[in-house]
Amino acid sequence: MDPAVRAQPTPPPAEERVDQRRRALEYAAEQQIATSEVLETIGRSALGLKPVFETVVRHAVRLGGADGGFVWQLDGDVFRLAVAVGGSAEYHRYLAEHPISPGPGSLVGRTAHERRTQQIADAATDPEYEWHKARDLAGFHTMLGVPMVADERVVGVIGLWRTQVDLFDALTVGLVTNFAAEGVIAIQTVELVQELKERSAELARSVDELRALGEVSLAVSSSLDLDYVLTTIVSRAVELSGADGGSIFEFEQSTGEFSLRTCSGTSEELADALRAVRIRLGETFVGGTATAGRGRQAADLDREPSDPHIELLRRHGWRSMVALPLQRENEIIGALVIRRKSRGPFASEMVDRLQTFANQSAVAIHNARIFRELEEKTEQLQVASRHKSEFLASMSHELRTPLNAVIGFSDVLLERMFGELNPRQEEYVRDIRNSGHHLLELINDILDLSKVEAGRMELDLGAVSLPDLLAEGIAMVRERADNHAISINLDVAADVGTVLADELRLRQVILNLLTNAVKFTRDQGSVAVTACLVGDDAHVSFCDTGIGIADAEQEEIFEAFERGGRAARTSAEGTGLGLTLSRRIVDLHGGRLWMQSTLGVGSTFSFSIPLPPGSATRVDESEAGSAVMGALERGGRVLVVEDDRRSADLFRVYLEGVGYAVSVARDGVEGLELARQLNPKAVILDILLPGVSGWELLAQLKGDPTTAAIPVVITSMLDERGAGFALGASGYLVKPVGRDELLEALSRCVTPPADERTVVVIDDDPLDLDLVEAVLSPEGWLVVRAAGGEEGVRLVRSERPAVVLLDLLMPEVDGFEVVERLRADPLVADVPIVVLTSKEMTPVDQERLAGRISFLAQKGTVGHGELVELVGRLAGTRSAPLEETT
Amino acid sequence: MTGGQVILIVEDNARNLKLARDILNHVGYRTLEAETAEDGLALARAERPDLVLMDVQLPGMDGVEALGRLKTDPLTADIPVVALTAFAMRDDRDRLLAVGFDAYLEKPLNVREFPGQVDAVLRRADVGSRT
Repeated sequence: MDPAVRAQPTPPPAEERVDQRRRALEYAAEQQIATSEVLETIGRSALGLKPVFETVVRHAVRLGGADGGFVWQLDGDVFRLAVAVGGSAEYHRYLAEHPISPGPGSLVGRTAHERRTQQIADAATDPEYEWHKARDLAGFHTMLGVPMVADERVVGVIGLWRTQVDLFDALTVGLVTNFAAEGVIAIQTVELVQELKERSAELARSVDELRALGEVSLAVSSSLDLDYVLTTIVSRAVELSGADGGSIFEFEQSTGEFSLRTCSGTSEELADALRAVRIRLGETFVGGTATAGRGRQAADLDREPSDPHIELLRRHGWRSMVALPLQRENEIIGALVIRRKSRGPFASEMVDRLQTFANQSAVAIHNARIFRELEEKTEQLQVASRHKSEFLASMSHELRTPLNAVIGFSDVLLERMFGELNPRQEEYVRDIRNSGHHLLELINDILDLSKVEAGRMELDLGAVSLPDLLAEGIAMVRERADNHAISINLDVAADVGTVLADELRLRQVILNLLTNAVKFTRDQGSVAVTACLVGDDAHVSFCDTGIGIADAEQEEIFEAFERGGRAARTSAEGTGLGLTLSRRIVDLHGGRLWMQSTLGVGSTFSFSIPLPPGSATRVDESEAGSAVMGALERGGRVLVVEDDRRSADLFRVYLEGVGYAVSVARDGVEGLELARQLNPKAVILDILLPGVSGWELLAQLKGDPTTAAIPVVITSMLDERGAGFALGASGYLVKPVGRDELLEALSRCVTPPADERTVVVIDDDPLDLDLVEAVLSPEGWLVVRAAGGEEGVRLVRSERPAVVLLDLLMPEVDGFEVVERLRADPLVADVPIVVLTSKEMTPVDQERLAGRISFLAQKGTVGHGELVELVGRLAGTRSAPLEETT
Repeated sequence: MTGGQVILIVEDNARNLKLARDILNHVGYRTLEAETAEDGLALARAERPDLVLMDVQLPGMDGVEALGRLKTDPLTADIPVVALTAFAMRDDRDRLLAVGFDAYLEKPLNVREFPGQVDAVLRRADVGSRT
């Protein structure tokens, strides 16, 4: 049975009740004060629990009429004295040195064990009471113990004692119970604060660690300079672990040895010595760590078995270390060693954290090795690729040479130069020639592709008229489409104009996509070509009603020599390289080429190409009737001598936009050099140039017979036209110079050379020929007559006239074919063509000519004066040709 | 029309030389033939042809060097020289025109247009020499 008398007093007599009541009130008042004092102390309890408990016990002793008291606090499995009031110092010392376990032998143990308030009426006579040594020291008899319960756990006990046998009444018990509750709050508060402190410290550690790891990761990912990365890692690891130094060893698979890679906090002397040390895998402390695959520490180096590495460290005053393996996928890469000059173990969590650094080091070394290998491979590949390109270039030359004979002799036969062929002979010769051409195409594509892949395809970018290119491309596949009754429709949005491209290359792409579309479309099918602007790009789509391409094959067809198995299903002929090449070319332009296709329904191939900067819309006055005036200026080169890059770029855009080729010289010396070399159609000359001034250059140009005839248009901030014209300038523009101003000045001074006063008139009607001759001859034009298309083409080639006047309806070679043949010949491709016809023009007719001729009119609608003006304007001269003096 | 003008063909490939010769002869030109640049230079000095068709890739001295010799020799300086090349790339064209060839023809030759192209160069040279 529990021998303790419980605090369950019997009902007292009436006067005692009054007295109790009074005391209770006094108690309540005092308790109020005590509680507030206790709470105040708790508020400051961040300092620790002792002040709180002292306050609690002091008040409890006084209010409870006790001679002494104490608080015991749970620490692990036992209760230790927190605070004692009353009794001798020796008694206090005894309590402090004797923790109590739960059990009936002591007040505290009993209270903790029972988890309820306990009163021992007389410790001296209590049969289970055992703490007599303490009782002897303090001399107590009656004792009261109240548990402090938090989360259903007894975390402490608050006790009072009296040196006489005098039971504590219910009021006192209630009072102490309240204090116990306050004590619990205090304990919890302090625990919270402590936890908070720990968490904060942990957080701070984590932040430090993260920061250090962040720096390390940054170094690992941003730098392939391995030494830099590893030095960062080791110094951060040393810093974070509060150690004094460290090093990273790299393991060399071929020798089976570790060698020093980098170190931190280490003297030069030791570093040199460490470099000389051989650490073999499995041997020595570090070598053993790497084999074991986990970190190992030496809290006292003097107690470790000696090895050359440890010996060195000892000699240089190092006393403890931790070694961690650097591993990657079970491959040993090296070891990280962190050292201290003092003895003592490294905390296990610190070792864990250092392993993170070791892992980062492993990644860094691994990356650097891969990078090194990659670099070597890349270099080998580059060499191989260069060899391949050189091989292809020379192969293509070797292949073209015999092809020249194959194609050439076939053509000689087909041209009947040496006699008639019978139909079968003609068929065979045609087969030979076509095969030769096929082979030639293949060689050209391979060569282009190898150029792209070797990074040697350079784009000659300029403003290119996309509508013109599309119309030209369509004209080139028209015949084939007509033969298969395939209709081709072109739909160009009104705002689509020039794009920034290499004209030849873009033409190649367009022709390839058009040819494919026609090639893979069934007879009576259709091909729709559309162009529109999307953001800063022009998008062009070629939509066919062809056989389509299965999903699985859609990417493959962009690979060299793949045609999605289409070659097997059709008789279509091609190199199989066109799409690969087209995509590469579009990529080089900064555009994209893609496709959508449904098997059996058709395919749409599209590409995007960037617009020239700052020119979202076409700068061009092309309206119905005036066809394409751009052709007027096509073909000539203009030299811009301008040191201000922006002005030069602006002039370039203006000039290239209307078809001039533009070269830029940055100063007078270069300007003179280029003028001599290029013999340009005109020079646009800035006056304020570094070194040789514009005036000096003008004098030099005019003084040199090879350049004296080149017209010079001066652009200057100052208006000194008098001087300009006196020195021989043909035009003078004051900056800022607008586009129209520039083009007008240029066209005014660009006079055609003498042999360009010829006009070739191609018409099968002699009356019309007479008429034109009658109108133009008196104006100084040499009119050369051609009675048919064939003769016309030949005369245009031989005469290279300033303008061609062309009829469309002619027997055999008609006007359309003349246009196509002239435009395909680089020697005469830029000759302006005026079409005068009595043919009713269909949209298809219009399209065949779009972008390829300068003027189109119905016969009889152009007056004589108009014709003279038109020919004069197209020939690039304003003044009548007769005024020309030599 | 071609009035018996003389064209020197310098070409190391015998079949290609024959092709150019046969076409030119067919349209009325007289031709001289050389398979190396050295022979070509000697013929040009001796015969002073109206035009030289020069293959660029020749064994030994190449066409570009031969051109330089022709243009610096007063005897041959005014003879137009047309480059013939199987390296039909745009930069080659620019390069060859820049070093002073009067025109540029790529192989394979366009048989139909070839006579007209030669004629055009001859006419241009003719106009040039008269002014």
